Formats: sequence, C-alpha cells, structure tokens
Amino acid sequence: MKQTPKLDTRGETFVKGTGLSACGCGSHTACVDVKDGKLIRIRPLHFDWQYTPEDYKPWKIDARGKSFGPTSKSLLAPFGMAYKKRIYSPNRIPYPLKRVDWDPDGERNPQNRGISKYERISWDEALDIAAKELKRMWAKYGKEAVLAQCDGHGETKIVHGVHGAHAMLLDMMGGFTLQVRNPDSWEGWYWGAKHIWGMDPVGLQWPYNGNVFPDILKNTDTCLMWGCDPETTSWGFGSVLMSRYCYHLTDLGIKQIYICPDLNYSAAIHADKWIPVRPNTDAALQLAIAHYWITHDTYDKAYLETHSIGFDKFKSYVLGEEDGVAKSPEWAAEKCGVPSRTIKALARRFARDVTSIVHVQGGPMIRGAFSTEPARLEVVLLAMQGLGKPGVHQANMTSGAFLVEHSTGRVCRPAMPGAKKVPWVGASYTGYNLFLPIPKQIIPKTLVHDAILDGKFEIFGSAHQQFPTEDQFKKYVYPAPGCSPIHMIWSDTPCLMTCWNDSNKNAEAYRHESIECFLVQHPWMENDCLFADLILPVNTKFEENDIGTDFISFQYDMLLLEKKCIEPIGETKTDWEIVVEIADRLGVKEQYTQGMNEQQWIERGWRESGVADMVSWEELNEKQYFPSPTDPDWEKWPAGLYEFYADPEKHPIQTPSGKLEIESSGLLKNFPNDPERPPIPKWVEKSALHDERLGGERAKLYPLLCMSNHPKWRIHAQLDDVSWFHEIHTSKIIGPDGYHYEPMWIHPSDAAPRGIKSGDIVNAFNERGEVLFGAYVTERVMAGVVYADHGARYDPIVVGKIDRGGSINTLTPHARTSTKASGGMVTNGFLVEVAVADLEGLRRDYPDAFARPIDRASGLVFERVLAEKENQQ
Amino acid sequence: MKTLLIDIDRCNGCHCCQIACKDEHVGNDWSPYAKPQPDIGQFWIKVTDVVQGSVPKVRVRYMLDVCQHCDDAPCIKACDSQAIAKREDGIVLIDAAKCNGARACQAACPYGVIYFNDELNIAQKCTMCAHLLDDGWKEPRCVDVCPTDALRFGEEEELKAFMEGAEILKPEAETKPRVHYKGLLNKFFIAGAVFDPVIDECVEDCTVTLIATDGVKSTLKTDDFGDFWFERNPPGTYSLVIEKQGYQPHRIDSIDASIDVNVGDIELLK
Repeated sequence: MKQTPKLDTRGETFVKGTGLSACGCGSHTACVDVKDGKLIRIRPLHFDWQYTPEDYKPWKIDARGKSFGPTSKSLLAPFGMAYKKRIYSPNRIPYPLKRVDWDPDGERNPQNRGISKYERISWDEALDIAAKELKRMWAKYGKEAVLAQCDGHGETKIVHGVHGAHAMLLDMMGGFTLQVRNPDSWEGWYWGAKHIWGMDPVGLQWPYNGNVFPDILKNTDTCLMWGCDPETTSWGFGSVLMSRYCYHLTDLGIKQIYICPDLNYSAAIHADKWIPVRPNTDAALQLAIAHYWITHDTYDKAYLETHSIGFDKFKSYVLGEEDGVAKSPEWAAEKCGVPSRTIKALARRFARDVTSIVHVQGGPMIRGAFSTEPARLEVVLLAMQGLGKPGVHQANMTSGAFLVEHSTGRVCRPAMPGAKKVPWVGASYTGYNLFLPIPKQIIPKTLVHDAILDGKFEIFGSAHQQFPTEDQFKKYVYPAPGCSPIHMIWSDTPCLMTCWNDSNKNAEAYRHESIECFLVQHPWMENDCLFADLILPVNTKFEENDIGTDFISFQYDMLLLEKKCIEPIGETKTDWEIVVEIADRLGVKEQYTQGMNEQQWIERGWRESGVADMVSWEELNEKQYFPSPTDPDWEKWPAGLYEFYADPEKHPIQTPSGKLEIESSGLLKNFPNDPERPPIPKWVEKSALHDERLGGERAKLYPLLCMSNHPKWRIHAQLDDVSWFHEIHTSKIIGPDGYHYEPMWIHPSDAAPRGIKSGDIVNAFNERGEVLFGAYVTERVMAGVVYADHGARYDPIVVGKIDRGGSINTLTPHARTSTKASGGMVTNGFLVEVAVADLEGLRRDYPDAFARPIDRASGLVFERVLAEKENQQ
Repeated sequence: MKTLLIDIDRCNGCHCCQIACKDEHVGNDWSPYAKPQPDIGQFWIKVTDVVQGSVPKVRVRYMLDVCQHCDDAPCIKACDSQAIAKREDGIVLIDAAKCNGARACQAACPYGVIYFNDELNIAQKCTMCAHLLDDGWKEPRCVDVCPTDALRFGEEEELKAFMEGAEILKPEAETKPRVHYKGLLNKFFIAGAVFDPVIDECVEDCTVTLIATDGVKSTLKTDDFGDFWFERNPPGTYSLVIEKQGYQPHRIDSIDASIDVNVGDIELLK
C-alpha cells in the first residue's frame, strides 16, 4: 500500500488543568489541541515539551532495590480525555431560562418547583430580574435573607472562580447567609479523630504527612487499605500516580490488605487479601483487634506511656470491665461479618508487621452514622503499634497538603516529593475564599432542609472544613441573632439532590413557600437546577482564559497559563462575568472587579504566584506551563510523625496535652456524657438519631445494608452525561426502555431470593424514598450488602418520592453523624430493601415522567425541561 | 514493523485507552486514514472486565480487544474490493473510499474487532493512529494515555526486552498478529482458606498440594490467614490435598479450573 499523504493532525495546542476539584486546587494537566475553532483532542502533557528534565529535576525514591518516580508525562484520569463530551453535552444549558409559572411580579408558585418547565429569556431580562430580586430581598428582609451555595467540587478555575464569585459580591455588599460545606469525604476524621490527635483542620494525618509514601516503600511490610480505592477516588483531582504506586508496592513485596464491603476497583487488581466488612461496622472490627492485642500482650505499652493519655480507660472498656461486654473477636464477628478467626489473624499480622493504614478520602469507613468512632479507633490502633515510627503511618493518597499550609500557616510537606516553591495563584482567585471569616449567619450544607422546613436549628460546630477542633464545642443557631431566615437561594453548586443527606427532604425544602427566589448558575441542566426559578448558563473552562496550578498530582508542581481554547457554547458566560454584570446593575462593578479586567487578574496571579522570579510573564505566555523544580532537600523531610515518635516532649502534637488523647480532654470537658461520641471511642449500636444496623427493628422492613461511595465514572455529581462512560456496564445499565439506569451491585445470594438477574431494573427503597437502578449481580460485593455510587443525575418520577436517575442520596439518613457532631453527613451504611421494579406500572401511572426526551447515547437532555412552545422553536 | 504489547497484568481497568481512542476518532475525520467513528457502539480498542472467583477470593482482570494488524490478515483476503491493505510498517488499514460495505472482512476476522458504520456504509477499525504516526507523533493515543505502561508501542526490535513470555491471541487462526499479550486470561487461580473450627483459628503452614489430571503436582504453604493461592493454572480438572501434622488430611477432587476458582473455607479436623 502506498504511504498515505501526511495530514496536519496537530492544530494549536493549549494547556488546561483537567482536575475537577474546584476551590483553586489544580491537577491533571492536559494538552488541548484545537483546529479551526474545534476541539480535536485532550491528551497528557509531556513535561519535556517546553523544558528538559534538568529544568524540573525529576525525583526518585530508591527503596528495596527498586526505584519509583514520576513519569515523563502527566497522568490523566479518563475524565480528562472524555471532557469533550461534557463540553458539547446535549445537556448543556445554552441560554438563560425562567420557570414558566414563576412571576417575580406576581404568583411565584414555589410548590411547582421540580415540576414546571422553563422558557427562554434574554440575558438582559435574566440579569435585571436577578439584581431586582436581590434588592427586594435586602429591602424586605435584610442581607442574610440570601443564601449563597458556593462550595464543593467542579471545574478548577481561578479568575472565573467557579463556586462563590457571587458570595464575594454578597460579602462586599454587607452580608449574606453562607452554606458551609461539611467535611463530606472525611466526616469521621474531622468530627472524631481531631479529638484524639489534633491534625487541624482536617483530622487525617495532616499536616504531618511529609514523605509518608517514600517511607512506606522503605519501611512498611503491610498496608491496610481501609475502605481505600485509589483506582477510583484519585481520579477526580488526586493523583493517578497512585495506581503505579500500588503496583510498585506489589513489586517490592509490600502486602495490600483491602478492608471494605465491596471488592473495589483497587482491591480487584492489587489486593493480596480482601477482608469484606459490613458497611459502617469497622468500629467493631477495630475494637476486636485492640482486644486481641491487649489479651495477647502484643502492643507497644512503653509508647502509650510516653505518647498518650487515657489508654487505661480504653483498655477497661475493651476488656468489658466497664459495661460487662468484652469486645472480643467473637463479639465483633457477629456485628461486622468478618469471621472471628480472620479478625485474630488480622490482629496478629498488624502487630507482627510494620503496618500503615492507607486512605484516599471517602470510602465506606468514614461516611456512616457515628463515623467519629472508627476514625478515632484507627488512631488508637496505630498508637498501640507506635504511630510515627518508620513505616507506621496513616497515609492519605489525596494530597491537598498545601491548602492546610495556607489555612493554618503551619509548614506542611507533601506526602510525595515535591517542588521547593509550589506555585499558588490565590491572589487572583475570584471564588469564595475558604479562609475568610464566616458571615454572621451560616447553614451547614447538611442542614439546608432543616433550616428551611423547620425554620430553625441549634447545633454544635459550624461544620466548616477549615475550622479548628474548638469550633465543634461552639453553639450555632439559626436564625442567627438579628438575622432574617433565608428567602432566596443563589447557587452555583446545584448538587444537593444527588450528593447530600436525605435529599428528598431538600426537594421539599426547595419547594417551600418561604423560598421566594431560587437563582442558579450552572453549565448543565442537572440535579438542583430542576428546582430553580431562574437559570443562568455558565461555560466550561475550555471556553475561558485563566491561570492555574497543578499541585496535587504528585508528579511536578506547576504554574499554568490556561488560555481560551474555543468560543463559548451558545450564549454562555463565565460565573465571574455573570456576577460582574449583576454587580454592574447594583452599581458596584468597579468595586467588585477592583477595576481590573480578566487579563489583569490573570497577570496578578502570575505576579504573586511565588515563582514569578523563575518564569517571566513572556515565557509563561509562550510555554503555557512552568514545572517548579523538585526540592533538592526533599529526603531530609521527617516522615510523618517521626519527630513526635522520637521525642514527644520536644515535638508535641496539637492536642491540649500535646499527646494522643485516647480519652479526649476536649470531649470530656464539653460533652462528658455523650453516648454517641464518648470521651473514649466506643462501639455505638444505635441511638435516637440512627437505627441503621442489621439487627435493629428497621432491618425487618429494610434488610439490606447499602454502601455508597465516591463514583467510579464520575466525580461526585460531575460527568454523568458522558456517553463514552455510559457504554461501560459498571457506569450505566441500559434498561429495556432504553433509559440509562445507574447500577446497583447485589450479591447472587441476595439477588436469587428476590428474583433479580443482572440487567433487571429494580427499585431500592426505604421510608425516605424509592430509586430505580439496573441490577448488577456480582461477587464483587459481600452478601447482605448492596452498593450504589452517588452522584447520578436526579430524574424525578414523583418529586421528592420516586427517582429514576439513580440518586441514591434520596435514601440516605436525614440525621447527621451524631447529636453533637451536628453537621456531619451520613451517606453510607443505611438500610434499604430491593425488589424487581414494575416499570410498566410506573409508566402507566406517571406517563409524563417517562415521556421526557432522552439522548440514545448520553441519557438526559436539556430539552426535557423546556415548555412546549420552546420545544417547537 | 510496528508492534503493540499489551500487559494484562498491569492493566488497572481505567479505560483511558478506550476513551482516548474515542476522543481521537469520534467527530474527527482523519480521511483517508479513517472516517469518523460513531459516538457510541464502536470500540477500536475495547476493555472488558472479567470478574472471577467468589467472595472473598475474587479478582478482576481486564481483557483488551483491538485489531491485531495481522501479518497474514484474513480481512485483507476476504475483501472483494481490495479496500484493506497492509502498510510497510505492518499497520493494516481499511480504505473507506474503496469499501463497498460488503462486511466480508467482519465475518473473516477471528478477533471480532471490525465494526460496521451503518450511516457511512463502511467497515471501521483501529488504525494504530497511523495518521498521527505519519505526522511525527511517537505513539497511538491509547498508548500515550496508558498510566501504567500496560500498553507499549514501537518497532518489534525495540520491544524485545518486554516481549519475553508474551503470547498471541488465537494462535490456531494462524494470522500472525502484530499485537502481543502478557497475562492473557487463559490460566486461572485455584484458591481457598484453611481453618480449625475447634479452636476457631486460621491454620498457617499447611502443605497444600495441587494435582493436575496428568498427575503433575505443585505445593505451597498456607499463610497466616490460612490462605493459599495457586496462580496461573492451565484450564483443567484438579485435586487438592491439604495436610498438616496433627490434622487429618483433607482432599477435594473435581475442581473445575476453566475459570478462576475459590474452593472456599476448608475445615481441618484433628
């Protein structure tokens, strides 16, 4: 065959971070090729494109005869390569919309939110209404009447600050009510572990996480991957390098034991052993391990003597001296589903080997009721084996260490080698700044429904993820003294319906008569958008000029100049542009923009990045990225808590006593009699708030324990419309009606008696609601447990009652982590029943819901919300 | 000659290859190398998860199906319109301009990797991203995006070091594929766990002997969880004998290892 004539395949190349963290935390840097105004491809960045390795100085960890280091190119999750489908999604909102029966000058019909359709309006009309509504609110109720939802994940933008450009305006105007994002992927550590080892503000072993991953390669024998799935949770914005790290552990002979109800995507390929444990029963397993060590004298008593307080009380509880119940392996086996002989073997292995516990945020251990307890017990177990000594760590495969440094000022070394100077562009971030003091009135994200439906709450702790432990003893009331309850919601984070607790209650709250205006900015017609009165369409980062960083990929820390790749789709604008227009209508544009345009904001980011002396503005414009050279002294950073281990007096941790408080002095002082979070960590079977155990009363009606975790083929609510993922059967199951159902994993022994086969459409239900799923009958989940990812697009058959889209969070508990851990979220380990769905019956009863148009490839489409006359245009 | 090496043992199932292939070919017209791929339904490289074993001894492995760019390609012979040809560098391409939609190539391919585009009435498949290679790119998209080096691409000579022990798909088809695999799913684990129900303990250090039908034996010791895993056994019927001093030996026959198999938790009695 003749050689075919050469094509120009390249086009113009841009650099963009494809990490989907938002909050200014960039990662997953990609090259984007564009030709004739069309996006051709998104691909890894080869670091040597504009530089040589001598410039950025690759790091290398030598351990046990082998080397580990970064690759020559960025490691992207498939999310990056698939993003074209998100940009050109048939679910993009192309122009401003108004709910047809919402009249800002007349009837507002709040009860029809989620049901009524939308009509197209002009930008001028939309922005005029928005500004007018704000002024009306302020005049009628005061500034706090407006709730700003502006947190969580999304595209990572800086100058076009996704999440909170509007809150910065409201803040400037003199106040608002802030929706505070609870520590949704690390609840137990935040509300629990902090009381034992400080680690403010996060609660995981931060900021003492320097060099833990090199140290594990050198000194650890066994890694307990406890509810840990780096092949999933790292994809959104963490490090894909962690996949290679797990292979490297195997190459070095370091064992990986996965402890989780499901054979997660990492256990499926990396596990030396999988120990299935029932959702949210880890505390029983942990107590039994402690029991075994105490009764077999295989723990580090000398360490506990010098490094901790309160162990004796804990020991007494474990042995049953306090309550007459020994927390033995036999006791635990019944609760957690792990055979007692396996618990004993695990206890022996943990004591015999140099052992670390590894997490990637999220995971089934940390998002259940009373998750404070497994989080604290984990620290106790590590303490009993000399936490901080070489190879003994709690290691977190999601970094973000740099944020801690920015919020606390404490020097924080990354868990993997990194740059000496980490670029930071906070100076040009226009989103809501996490480190600002909170306004007078707040509503934790977990209590939005309560605030609206009950009109009041009284809680302990703001649930603010950047706040210190002491905040948990502080009382917050709503409405705050002198403040109005909320009457308007302005959101650029419309995802409560699919990511938060008891979200059917959010549907009820969004439709409450007290909410007069619900204004949403978002690129896609999904989830809470369905309840909005006014929708302002936003563009994706590929349609904007921006600056950015990459500092959580664990390869190189980089400064990026993210130029606009393509023109905006439809009439969309950036979040910041929208807020600037509203500011203009309020007469404060100059003040809001600080008199600077987009380019000036971008340039400010470079100027104050900390690396402006290493890369000139001209060079950054030409090369588009700057990899900051690796710190030549990285090997000198002490690993983890080594300094505390070596000399606890000289290097105390940030607890009141400076030691590991197995009995927490803070809890003892403030809540000495709290049965749900007692001063020493315990097993909590149930309480007035939660009855979600298999042995309980509710289990007679709902006999399966549901596990839900961060999704494999999405990042939370993002990416649910990517047709290329829908072709993967663990992503979507196409029903006989052509609808794209979310998979629900169920063990063959639970499926058979219910007559469920793989591919059947089933409904999962409890008293909170009912959700349709496609059944995936598999040995990847233990018996008695069903599994569903969160984040599927809410598609109500009956608003607030029946969902077709697979939003598992409509079935999650309403109550928070515990009474005193008032803002924590419970989204894992709750009771449901599952049955084959009567699709035909539903179709007959709810013809409208089943008649909505869907795209054969990607499911839900924008047009489904348009009023008939719009559809005919 | 261009060669693709697929190491199943290093595939983490991320599907980046499958997705990047779509990113490159869906909506992009690389004629005359390839017409656009439809949005869904075609997988010029396809990842399939294979779940085997039973709780708690379960593993997932990922099979990758892609055009084998055979040196003796049945599709070339089957095509009446001479639309399929092999280039000097070994890449097999379908010329969309010549393809008459007869689908003979699809029927002839032993690997099931040729797709049909109803709208354009043409057969389509992997091009090894020849349009990129000819324009100076070093690798096809699937290889560039692989985060674990499960995919490697290059001249056969350059890949020799990695090819040791590699196999080809369906050697009986005698198509001389240019794609080579490591860790193909043609060998299976036989695993189980041993425990003493009287003392309620896992039994470590048992001698476990696996006996194939031809009498060939292999042995290993149970670990501290009482676990044993015999890896990579050819398909067949096996027997297991578990022995430990002080215990009665335990034998299990007729173990069908046509897939990975967990024989379960085994009671050892004194």
